[in-house]
Amino acid sequence: MADVAVPEGLWDTQKVPEGIVANWFCRDGGTVEAGATVAELMVEKTTYEIAAPAAGRLHILVPKDGVVRPGTILGRIEEA
Amino acid sequence: MPSNRILTMSRAISEAIAQEMRGDPNVFVMGEDIAKYGGIFGATADLLDEFGEERVRDTPISETAFIGAGVGAAMSGMRPIVELMFVDFFGVCMDAIYNMAAKNNYFSGGNCTVPMVIMTATGGGYSDAGQHSQTLHATFAHLPGLKVVAPSNAYDAKGLMISAIRDNSPVFFMFHKGLQGLAWMASPEAAVTEVPDDAYAVPFGKAKVVRQGKDVTIVTISMMVHRAVEAAEALAKEGIEAEVIDLRTLVPLDRETVFNSVAKTGRLLVVDEDYKSFGLTAEIIASVVENDASVLKAKPRRIAFPDIPIPYSRPMEQFALPNAEKIATAVHEMLGKGSKKAA
Repeated sequence: MADVAVPEGLWDTQKVPEGIVANWFCRDGGTVEAGATVAELMVEKTTYEIAAPAAGRLHILVPKDGVVRPGTILGRIEEA
Repeated sequence: MPSNRILTMSRAISEAIAQEMRGDPNVFVMGEDIAKYGGIFGATADLLDEFGEERVRDTPISETAFIGAGVGAAMSGMRPIVELMFVDFFGVCMDAIYNMAAKNNYFSGGNCTVPMVIMTATGGGYSDAGQHSQTLHATFAHLPGLKVVAPSNAYDAKGLMISAIRDNSPVFFMFHKGLQGLAWMASPEAAVTEVPDDAYAVPFGKAKVVRQGKDVTIVTISMMVHRAVEAAEALAKEGIEAEVIDLRTLVPLDRETVFNSVAKTGRLLVVDEDYKSFGLTAEIIASVVENDASVLKAKPRRIAFPDIPIPYSRPMEQFALPNAEKIATAVHEMLGKGSKKAA
């Protein structure tokens, strides 16, 4: 299992405490390739892309529109 | 890897453009904020990084200049994609659109084609007032010489954009802001779809039966496809089966699919976010009646935006927009089951 996490320090939480998951680019249970963009976060008006850390089956833990912070585990990838 | 990748409509459009730019050096993009910003509705995201400033060009705020430049480029052998940020801004560039782009092929006896895509954002529902919220599909569909495309989901958007770029006629590619999947604007879930990696084309003039039904035909396009499906799902719970047709392109218009459906259901409802009078709703109803009025078991009906400027006020705009409840009520009336008030 590889964690799909919001990187620490991705944005300044002193200014903006939290963001949301704007979109997932793979359905829950779908397969992804390592390095593929799997999700997009929205923090105020800035978007950040999140890449898959490994290839395998994606399990989504934070759905679209869910609130996230740096360090939040968005999902897990079950490696094939 | 099986293609279970899902994309928003904005990403599907920018992927289509990127794939065609890789394959054809004559394809380029220009418009306001399309390069560094990636298009204010995301339709040209990431293109500047891959293709550079020569092929992905930010323009000054002069639609008169850059739509005109697009026509010239197209007539000189290029295949420009020019973004008109909001369709509402067409006023200052209409001469280039309808006297040049739409007519020059005809005027030149077929010697000069204008293979240009004018990509533009349409639609309301988010309180952006009357000069940022119109759809205006019919304004362009009315003019001979232009093709008019308005996708309802990411799969169609990619395939229709590829067809638009490859087409030798000027094409108006009209995407609804509320379907783009932008983080700051609500978007129907069904607009996000699985999108194959390869560069596939969705042909023009082929409507899609989104949902099968025997009781009534609902003909629509763009955002209103989602409202119609929502209504059809509610009606299905009462045992009413509505067939929903997504026209996908207005020019060319797939009348055959509409005729075949109405011959089966005997009832026609047309739903459009564009203005009511002189528009899509009238065109579809007239086409069906001209073809064979005898198939109709009830008067044809239409739901469109009333003939008023689009209000800024949220309650007023939402009151005026077509929605699932209005669609379901109209279907009830057509079936002689009276108007059911929402619970």
